Amino acid sequence: MNDTLFTDTIKATSEVVTKTDAATTNAVNYWMWIAILELVIIVLLILFRKKPDSKKEQFKREAKQGDIDFGNIINSSFHVKPLYDELKVKCHPDRFPNDIEKNKIALAIFQEISKNKTNYKKLIELKESAKQKLNINF
Amino acid sequence: MLTNIWNNIIEWFKDRSEKAQLIRSFNDSAKNAFITNQAPTLLKAKISKGEKSYRHQFSNWLNTGFRIQAFSGRQLSKEEIKQIGEVILNDNILVRRLIVLGWDTLEIHGDKGNYGLRWQLKDYIPLPQ
Repeated sequence: MNDTLFTDTIKATSEVVTKTDAATTNAVNYWMWIAILELVIIVLLILFRKKPDSKKEQFKREAKQGDIDFGNIINSSFHVKPLYDELKVKCHPDRFPNDIEKNKIALAIFQEISKNKTNYKKLIELKESAKQKLNINF
Repeated sequence: MLTNIWNNIIEWFKDRSEKAQLIRSFNDSAKNAFITNQAPTLLKAKISKGEKSYRHQFSNWLNTGFRIQAFSGRQLSKEEIKQIGEVILNDNILVRRLIVLGWDTLEIHGDKGNYGLRWQLKDYIPLPQ
């Protein structure tokens, strides 16, 4: 009787083990296919990314180009005003009433100075230019 | 539609990283200028809440303010704050970059006192319709 009971138990156990094994294999396959599908979607999305075409996107793309000179911005914040005040007085075209050539150059430099009145680096360049072309002593 | 969502997600992460990089670059430059005695005041940039009424088509949902704090140890005058603001607003590349990265408000204030100035960025650059 013990032998029969033992055999039945083994039989029942092996059935359970087989069923569980089959279920686990199916589950693994199922998740594997989902993962493959996700991968395919991601690859397709990367391949067919929308190209920037609208005005807004073009503006954004263009705005992200070009370097920002933070050093110049910081310097300008504290030093540009006295430099601008000095340049606008010394490079004024009215200081060269008799020399037409110098008056023209001074006018061009003065216009540049007014245009770049908050750009320290540019004003330093204009100062050098004024020194050379107009012989101004700063 | 799916592609759009995907693009927006990628764009959002890129913008976030660029925003952090811009603030880091500004703060590094300000710190260097202060240490080397080129600037008498230490400036520090950070993200703030911003002003709702200044919104534009590139504005983020939240935190749309670009705030600069000047550590001068005293109350800054209106002219001093205005000067810093004008320098920033006259730099077209910087203003464009701030706008496309989702900022719509520029705020400048000192570390003492409760006075500060605020500008609407879209007033300084023509935006696409």
